[in-house]
Amino acid sequence: MVNEYFHLTNYGGTLEFYLFELANFSVLACLVLIIYKLDFINVNSLIVWLCLFFSPLLFNYFIFSPYLFGDQFLYAAEIMSLKTTGESYEHTQASGSLLLGSNAINPVTLTAKILGIIPLPAYMTVSSLAFANKFILFLTFLWFKRFFNSENEVLLYFLIPSLVLYSSVGLRDTLVMVIATIFIINLIRGRFILPILLLYPMVILKIQMFAVLALYLAGHLIFQAHKTRNLFIFFICAIFAVVVIYQNTILEIVNLYRLAFVAENFIGPDGTISYEAWAKYGQEDQEALTLNSIPEVIFFAIINLPILLLIPMPWNWSNIFYPLQSIESLLLIYLYVKLTLENKLYKSYEFFLLTLMLIVGLSLYALIMANEGTFVRYRFTLYYPFLLGLLYISKHHQNNTDGANNEKLIYK
Amino acid sequence: MSFIKQFRVKERVHILKDFFFEYIFTKQSIYAILISLVFSFFITQRSISQFSVTSTLKEASQISQMKGGIGGGAAQLLMGADASAGGAFNDFKLDMYSFALAQRMWNQGWGSKVYGNGDLNDEYFNKIPKRHRVSDRLAAFLMGYELYEYYSAYDLQSYIKSKIDPDKDRYSGTIDIKMIHSNKDFAIEFMNALILETDKYGKENLIQRSNEIIASTLKQLATSRNSSMASALSETINSEYFKIANLENDMPYHIDIVDPPHSSEYPVSPNVPAIFFASAVMFFFLSILFSFLLKNKEDLW
Repeated sequence: MVNEYFHLTNYGGTLEFYLFELANFSVLACLVLIIYKLDFINVNSLIVWLCLFFSPLLFNYFIFSPYLFGDQFLYAAEIMSLKTTGESYEHTQASGSLLLGSNAINPVTLTAKILGIIPLPAYMTVSSLAFANKFILFLTFLWFKRFFNSENEVLLYFLIPSLVLYSSVGLRDTLVMVIATIFIINLIRGRFILPILLLYPMVILKIQMFAVLALYLAGHLIFQAHKTRNLFIFFICAIFAVVVIYQNTILEIVNLYRLAFVAENFIGPDGTISYEAWAKYGQEDQEALTLNSIPEVIFFAIINLPILLLIPMPWNWSNIFYPLQSIESLLLIYLYVKLTLENKLYKSYEFFLLTLMLIVGLSLYALIMANEGTFVRYRFTLYYPFLLGLLYISKHHQNNTDGANNEKLIYK
Repeated sequence: MSFIKQFRVKERVHILKDFFFEYIFTKQSIYAILISLVFSFFITQRSISQFSVTSTLKEASQISQMKGGIGGGAAQLLMGADASAGGAFNDFKLDMYSFALAQRMWNQGWGSKVYGNGDLNDEYFNKIPKRHRVSDRLAAFLMGYELYEYYSAYDLQSYIKSKIDPDKDRYSGTIDIKMIHSNKDFAIEFMNALILETDKYGKENLIQRSNEIIASTLKQLATSRNSSMASALSETINSEYFKIANLENDMPYHIDIVDPPHSSEYPVSPNVPAIFFASAVMFFFLSILFSFLLKNKEDLW
């Protein structure tokens, strides 16, 4: 059921809002009860997922205003428009992609179409899509935990605060993370067809992620860089060669995004904001922001990478979420290092390739970093699938090592 | 075959059947549905029907003619004329949300229609008592500041800002003015008055501005000895007179009205079927959850 007058009615914080969203929660909670009874999940997962399904009710309008993530309204309007009229909401009709041309489907429309498949009873408010996000995250959990003996360990990775937060709002980040996770795990497992197919939605949903994942696919499929040291070095050399050959194009794209993100957050002296302010007053800064050579790009990426990993910095903390996110970013780095050292992953080229791709992706973000809040979200969207990939490698590596040791014992 | 066995299909179908008969197909579920009906009825009764009132406008074509064609460089030198870079829509929106417009609407008695009984006597509508929440009164008492006793044009300005939402479609270029209100007749009348008054206010502003430009240009012209400068100043005066001639008629200036304000036939809120449906789903689940907790409390704790 959808709201026919989606663009006019705002149920924000009213009794009707909670009624509609409790109906969505009820359907998901009922599903998780059935899944539990079918013995697909244990009791811990049951309790945790009941809480996670309830969490969207606690964020929008309760802990913070939904305007903190204002794009949610666009996604909500789009899904309601598609469900009622079959046509895109007027403000999202403009499409276009750097790679797919001007006829490409809009990322908002694609997100709404994918999330709209999820059979929720009430797509009525700005929070409805958050429940769709939770549902696809739950399916990802069910799929991902199959690869592990300990369900509880996997469950902990779905309790990371940023994941809980971003999947509790109606944005496309959860979808991007889920697609990236499926892509990475399948690639590590040596299955290429699904990852190749997943590149299409990714190029529309998040082109930066597409660039990283496409490079990862090339490293795995063409260069086999996960197998030996020589192939890994050859892959790195090939990347450098391509970067040098196409440096003008690469610089153009990097500068375009770099300026676009700065322009989006630009505030003019007369109170104008965003691109309008940039068009009036930002031209003087354009020269200073433009990167002119590949060494300069690499230098800037190296300088900005630690900042990206640690933002939000203490001097920028303006609400309670900021210190929590700072602590979380440190914990996520710690977790990555801990998994690596505990499982001696530094002996695996699969790990090296995965980490290289993560660094490349983070460096891209470090180059275009502008608004802290946005980039904390972007960073997590990139980092999380790679963390799950690392978890998968660590268990797989452990099993292989155990298997090899067992064989040695037998031979003895 | 071993692949199918791995899924334990038979066993799981059996579990699903058990789940259905144990938690769903029960008397308790019927009670839950009945309670949901009562609950939905209560919600719909306490809700006030809200109608959607919309009007479609477009930017008037004469503005671009006037801005592009005339109003020469001298005007810009003297008064910084034509500084509005955001287009007619931005000007229109700024005027609509301005205090000056709220004051004009207030003087026409709209404050009385919004906050009072509609009496157009200014002695009445300038003394409509303002009600404050207990928390606001308490805060004022503790902090030692005074709350306004009567409604004023500032309240009407806030009302306009919160209720009226002008939005320009970036592709078609049309301007949609939207409002949701329980009294559709009032909303139509109010929106109509607001649109016309905003445009009128904009026109009056421009006429005043043109008069000021003419006055100051004439002063410059009287002292100017340079023939090319005098020619530029004369051109400016001509263009400002042309502008005034364009503005001093009853035609809208900033906007053309494509669709006058009209209301939806049915209320947009509350959505009665959605309330009944969502409520049924919620109570049905509560019934399942209740049974589930009772029968599985050992496992859960």
